[in-house]
Amino acid sequence: MELAEILFLAFASIAVVTAIFTVISRSPVISALFLVINFGALSGLYLLLSAQFLSVVQVIVYAGAIMVLFLFVLMLLRPEKEDKYFVVNRKMKIFAVIVGLFLFGQLAFAIFASDIGQTVSIESSRSEQIGKIAYIGENLYTTYLFPFEAIAFVLLVATIGAIVISKKKLD
Amino acid sequence: MLENYIPIFIVFTFAMVFALLTVFSSEIIGPKRPSKEKLSPYESGMKPIGTAEERVSIKYYLVAMLFIIFDLEVIFIYPWAVKFKELYHGSAVTPAIGLPVFVSMLIFLVVFELGFLYAYKKGAFRWD
Amino acid sequence: MIQLDYFLLLSAFMFIVGTIGVLTRRNAIVVFMSIELMLNSANLTFVAYSSFFGDVVGQLFVFFVMAVAAAEVAVGLAIIIAIFRNKLTVNIDEINILKW
Repeated sequence: MELAEILFLAFASIAVVTAIFTVISRSPVISALFLVINFGALSGLYLLLSAQFLSVVQVIVYAGAIMVLFLFVLMLLRPEKEDKYFVVNRKMKIFAVIVGLFLFGQLAFAIFASDIGQTVSIESSRSEQIGKIAYIGENLYTTYLFPFEAIAFVLLVATIGAIVISKKKLD
Repeated sequence: MLENYIPIFIVFTFAMVFALLTVFSSEIIGPKRPSKEKLSPYESGMKPIGTAEERVSIKYYLVAMLFIIFDLEVIFIYPWAVKFKELYHGSAVTPAIGLPVFVSMLIFLVVFELGFLYAYKKGAFRWD
Repeated sequence: MIQLDYFLLLSAFMFIVGTIGVLTRRNAIVVFMSIELMLNSANLTFVAYSSFFGDVVGQLFVFFVMAVAAAEVAVGLAIIIAIFRNKLTVNIDEINILKW
């Protein structure tokens, strides 16, 4: 096996296992920590796809900032009893698993039915070029300038909204 | 391309192994003679009050939220900073754009800082 | 050689795990984390397609998705905090005043 294949197997299995533990672990804090590991594995997968810039951004934004906010809020809203979150709702669980399996079957069928996945192969020189920060910058600030400016407004609204909603007293 | 990241991988592995080793080696090697006083949490010699799972204040949320927004702002500046000179003066593959490259980022930043200005006016940075 | 299919299957699996999390968990914050999981699986699909087809648009889109996800998390968690302040719970079964 090549190095890339071994790394893919490692990162993919970490991603799968941590995703499952995020959903099934009882303590929300443990869930959050597993999710951080999941984001780390995804960053490794991005690196395998030679999306170098996104791989770093994934670590900085998701693992570094978003999960910190999640952990802060978990600490902030520690409800009195955690046990009542685990009222066994067997019907719901069975329903969810059935829906999940059905959806997964559907997606897997769609993936295998189209032969695009087998025919296309990665062109490493090209994909290395487009993953670079310079290439992303070149496109982001010329062709995609408008979405870039729009993001500023989205984040402005998010800042103001979050402050207004979370502040205790509005004066 | 992956070869370029081997040093980072080595540093990462080393840091991980070192951290785990220092934490767990003391656990394994060190002698343990636990008693009730030793196991109780230390609160400046006082008897501990409540649990360790205290709720934290809402201010931490606001600070973390503002940090995320600031983080994203910086992330968006990176590709711009890397490519600025080439876009401004032009290169073999890209035509010279000139001042609009600078102005576009300026608009972005001004819109962004409006949010921080609002946070400042609202007292989100005030700690007490 | 790693095929595109493997990445798509991994992404599909993570999406399904996120869906099951949203349906079964009762803690609003964990539900939110499951949604993040689903968003990330979609991101993985975008990046996989982008680098297999040699087109940068997928990666730019993921970049924007990350920004929007950060905004969504900031506002969403603020809403959860506001709900907690009013009802002293983040259990989504008890937050049902909109139910008919």
